[in-house]
Amino acid sequence: MVNADGQLYTIEGIAAALILLLSAFIVVNSTSVYTMGDTHISDMQLEVTGSDALNMMNTAPNSSVDKTPLQTMIETDDAAAFQTMFNNLVNNKTGADPDRIQFKANVTYQREDGSVGSIVLGKSSHPLVGGEHAVRVSDWVIVEKLPDCSDTYCTGKHAVLLEALLWRD
Amino acid sequence: MAGLNDDAQWIVLMGFIVSFSLFFIAILLNQSTVVGQTTAEAVSEFPKNDIRGVRDVIIQSAYLDDKDQFRNQTWVQNDIRNLSLDRHDAVVDFSSQSPSWNDPYTYVEIHYNNGVTAYNETWRSE
Repeated sequence: MVNADGQLYTIEGIAAALILLLSAFIVVNSTSVYTMGDTHISDMQLEVTGSDALNMMNTAPNSSVDKTPLQTMIETDDAAAFQTMFNNLVNNKTGADPDRIQFKANVTYQREDGSVGSIVLGKSSHPLVGGEHAVRVSDWVIVEKLPDCSDTYCTGKHAVLLEALLWRD
Repeated sequence: MAGLNDDAQWIVLMGFIVSFSLFFIAILLNQSTVVGQTTAEAVSEFPKNDIRGVRDVIIQSAYLDDKDQFRNQTWVQNDIRNLSLDRHDAVVDFSSQSPSWNDPYTYVEIHYNNGVTAYNETWRSE
């Protein structure tokens, strides 16, 4: 015959152990969620930098100039000017050395037959090879001439979409 | 109580209350991070820049002229609809109403839907 004197202590012990285990599990389990948010934060900062840069380029320098720098660059397909200006805007920072943001920008437009065309407007020195974690920013520009043709349709006003992929090297 | 000395029942009860309150606080802590995560995800999924951009260009297009040779407004508005669908995967529709003799404002009705986020606005000129 076993002595049954300690039954309540046993039950209490098991209940306490379960509570401790569950609490520990919940606490340990919840801390792993923090890392999820972290991965998006740098993406969002890069996206803000890029879209601010495009907005600045799509603003006329003063009220007597009616075309924005971006409009002129797209109309004349001026890749060099775009690269210089965009590179300066996204990579300048306080201190001597610049940031390491790389980019590739495309202009997408619609032809008269409704098909969609795209040209590369500019890219930075490092090519996009596929392993980078890039974010996309875009801006609409109303241009007065489409890049690759010269008939009546192309010399009228058109909305084109400038898209840039940005990543940090 | 199973043949035990039951003098200290209050202590046992207090022990349970304290453990359950700790347990409850642990659940609160656990849920709070989930709330933070879903909020952060909702913020990063919301296409703020896409909507701002398309809204801006739609309002600009409402003021373009549409003469016979250069059908600027028709062309620009077609471009906005098709390029939005093609590049932003978003259905964009809009219409505008010009000022009339008893209403000096321009109104632009904007609808944007990318399957996750729907945005509708009626814009009125100042």
